[in-house]
Amino acid sequence: MLARAVFTIWFVTSLIFFLVRLMPSNPIEVYINELIVQYGLPYAEARDQAASLFAIDLDAPLHLQYLDYMAQLSRGNLGDSLRSPGTSVWEIIVAFLPWTLFSVGLGLLISFLLGVLIGMLLAYNRRAFWEPVVSGVASILSSIPNYIIGIVLLVYLGVYWNLVPIHQMRGSRSPGIEPGFTWVFIKDIFFHAALPILTYVLSSIGGWILSMKSSTIGTLGEDYVTVARARGLSEGRITTAYVGRNAMLPLITQLLVSIGFVVGGSLLIESIFVYQGIGYRLLTALSTRDYPLMQGIFLIITISVVVSNLVADFVYGWFDPRVRVAGGD
Amino acid sequence: MTTEALIPKTGIRYWPARFLRGIVRFLKLMSRNKTGFVGFLLFIGFVLLTTVGPLFVPQAKSANIMEIYAPPCKLSQWVEFLRTSWFERVPHSEIKASSAPMCSEHLLGTDSQGKDIFAQIVHGGRDILQMALLTGLISTFVGVALGSLSALIGGGFDAFLTMLADIWLTIPRFPLLAVLATLVKLDNMLFLALLLSVLSWAGLYRSIRAQVFSIKERDYIEAATALDLGMWHIIFSEVLPNMLSYIAISFTFGMTSAIYAQVGLVFLGLVPLTRNWGVMINLAWTQGAIFFKDSVYFIMAPVTAIALFQLSIVWMSRSLEEIFNPRLRTG
Amino acid sequence: MQEARSKMENKVVDVFKSKVPLTVEDLWVEYQIERGVVKAVRGVSFALARGESLALIGESGCGKTTLGVALIRLLVQAARIPKGEITYWRGNQGIDVLSLTQRELRRFRWRECAMVFQSALNAFNPVLRIWDQILDTAKAHGVMSRGQVRERALQLLEYVQLDPKRVIDAYPHELSGGMRQRVLLAMSLLLDPQVLILDEPTTALDILTQRTIIDLLRRLKEEIGFSMLFISHDLATAAELADRVATMYAGSIVEVGPVEDIFYRPVHPYTLGLIRAVPTVTGEFEALVSIPGAPPDLVAPPPGCKFHPRCPYVTERCRVEEPKLEPFYGEMHSVACFNVQRVQQDTLDLQERYAKYMGGKAA
Repeated sequence: MLARAVFTIWFVTSLIFFLVRLMPSNPIEVYINELIVQYGLPYAEARDQAASLFAIDLDAPLHLQYLDYMAQLSRGNLGDSLRSPGTSVWEIIVAFLPWTLFSVGLGLLISFLLGVLIGMLLAYNRRAFWEPVVSGVASILSSIPNYIIGIVLLVYLGVYWNLVPIHQMRGSRSPGIEPGFTWVFIKDIFFHAALPILTYVLSSIGGWILSMKSSTIGTLGEDYVTVARARGLSEGRITTAYVGRNAMLPLITQLLVSIGFVVGGSLLIESIFVYQGIGYRLLTALSTRDYPLMQGIFLIITISVVVSNLVADFVYGWFDPRVRVAGGD
Repeated sequence: MTTEALIPKTGIRYWPARFLRGIVRFLKLMSRNKTGFVGFLLFIGFVLLTTVGPLFVPQAKSANIMEIYAPPCKLSQWVEFLRTSWFERVPHSEIKASSAPMCSEHLLGTDSQGKDIFAQIVHGGRDILQMALLTGLISTFVGVALGSLSALIGGGFDAFLTMLADIWLTIPRFPLLAVLATLVKLDNMLFLALLLSVLSWAGLYRSIRAQVFSIKERDYIEAATALDLGMWHIIFSEVLPNMLSYIAISFTFGMTSAIYAQVGLVFLGLVPLTRNWGVMINLAWTQGAIFFKDSVYFIMAPVTAIALFQLSIVWMSRSLEEIFNPRLRTG
Repeated sequence: MQEARSKMENKVVDVFKSKVPLTVEDLWVEYQIERGVVKAVRGVSFALARGESLALIGESGCGKTTLGVALIRLLVQAARIPKGEITYWRGNQGIDVLSLTQRELRRFRWRECAMVFQSALNAFNPVLRIWDQILDTAKAHGVMSRGQVRERALQLLEYVQLDPKRVIDAYPHELSGGMRQRVLLAMSLLLDPQVLILDEPTTALDILTQRTIIDLLRRLKEEIGFSMLFISHDLATAAELADRVATMYAGSIVEVGPVEDIFYRPVHPYTLGLIRAVPTVTGEFEALVSIPGAPPDLVAPPPGCKFHPRCPYVTERCRVEEPKLEPFYGEMHSVACFNVQRVQQDTLDLQERYAKYMGGKAA
């Protein structure tokens, strides 16, 4: 399992490497041309500059370049950003990644917890009049793309009904407020992250609600629930330890795996709300053709997905004892 | 079954009649599931709107600058307009020049260049629809082919593909698309569809493979093998029919993810496609249409169109699921 | 007629009342389904004496499981009990089970009367250890301290011939089916109930495990002395474990009596049919007779005796009038049939065996 994770990361880094080098519009060559045209540098110098920025040696044959690339990577050198000369890719990533992790993480957590609760509520109250209504809403929410929800929130909450001061909410934090563990700062970052988090929550809660509802309905029909009632256990205990825990099991893997997808979708959400997370930075890197940064960010995103999947495999064993003995796979 | 008696079994009237009967039966099946039927109708509605609509609705032309972001007229304004033009015989142009606040005759108002939004919606859906269908078809085909072959052949082939799929699944798709979009020019729709299908093969492959595996072990397959019915027969008459619901679901899923990807890319301005809903959103965004109350139609029209279209596909898949999986039918 | 019936049954019940943990009087259970109302249990009365083991035998769909489940009121939501009384006696105090509040009901279940369902394969919560589930049960009733529970649990596990230390800390999936059945039995005795209801205790098990469980049950009954109501379609199990046997058909008891009586002197055509339909593993080869036809539709059962469409002794009276359960061979053996004499004629071979058996016993 661990081996597979490492293999995946290796696979992706190699993929990126070859993509960048072998694409028809070879970004490195393009950059060299740009340098020549814009700054009037001679070819050799432009090449050298490109080489240092991309952290590769352009003279060496491809496979050597590849090995060198991998060596650099293992040392953590991702090269320097093209458009912000002097700043290493790593620095930029470190500056932007935490915001995405913060907003995505909170969004996922809230939507999961709320979704699981509501889902269970729905399963227990199949005959109430509001059950089909809530299920219907959940179904609709889960079918609408997340960026559409983001746009709708922005347009309606911010502009049309003027409920929220969106202009002030741009960005991940307000200028002038010092980062640190101060209450002011914490309030500020929540203020800025509120809409993105709301978007994540609204777009994923539908899925959790429906999954948990069907999982709970299935679990309620299991023998051990009937036996638990025959044993005289209180409904509270049955709901938490007997129904709840078992119904949540399939959702936990879903949760950890979905981290990858939400990180991918952060691109769009962050650009809608102008939230300076890693997705947003990737976009600016894309539009400015900042190739080393693009490479680096993409790599980091993939690594985080792989890591979260790995964590999923390990953590699942903690929840479901039936899987522990086998050790995963 | 009196209709059966009325329809002749030979002659030129046979095939159209059978076709019609098939359609009626299909409609009856679709209507079993309420949400599914609504989704189906909505979907057909969209298809008609975007394919046939352009024949009736003229292309949006750049109108006067005075009509930028004009919201559609409310009913009262229409009444007022009709009254002044009809009863008081005031010429059309004078009314438009004099009436304030300005409202547009167009159904959904006008955009930043004075073009009719409704017309743009009608014309702008075709790209998206075509791409969705194309991607759906290709990715389903690839997924089904690889998945079933992998499950039936087994061995090293299967192990290799599975490992590849697992790795593939961990790569975040949309960022990869975004990166690829900068490296390669994505202006050809077919190419985009192919690319999307290639990127999303892993998910479908997995679920089809799992299905085929479970079907393979079932008793009726063993019976068919014991009866020496031949591999092709087994595949087409025993295995595939039971997978139809999965295939239908895969198809709709392929469609929805294609729409998501395409609109997302266009919204971010990464793909230079012609005028479609995604482009409308992009334009609305970049031109600041979201910040005014009047211009809200410009952004909300395509947004609503996309949302409803996605919904219709998702709902329709419920009906399809019920049709193909007889066990789900409550009847 | 109704009056006469309940008087007769009351007489039987009265006989037991002083030494009895459980009495059921004229119990009716119905379910509402789309087609109509399913009358699953129709006017059942019986008493379960202290330390006695009563077998409830019948085909699937005859209402025996519904009856068992009704005794602890664990019926599905669609079910109703329109009539009847279930009284549980502890010492001299009678508890009306049907009027218990939810809270009291939870206390009642497992503590006074434990029901063990068939196939313990999925009877345990897969994410909790056996010890946690035992503790859950004890905590829900709050009668023992943690240490006491542990001790008793280990004792009981040993009693059912399991390795207590290993099993108590195990997860359910780590134990085999037979082991889980035994754990469930041990758990059922945790709170020392007076009544144990077993629903098809051996049906889902293989022959060898069945043997172990049956022996175990017999031992438990003898040594601990609880009353046991066990529900089964398997006559063989009844022969081994029961003191009294009641056969049930279409929601009512058609014959009830001591186990030897039922096997050697059955007087209801249905009981006779059951006996004749089961081959003996050892012994002479006899012609097997199966009962033709199928159980009746409980939404719209036939008039008169519910068995009459399948009965070889059917008469006109059977088609219109439903027979009541009345004593035949003394107070202990009752039957609901109009044609008992003719049945007796056909069971002379069995009666011979009975005489031999009783003679043997006397000697």
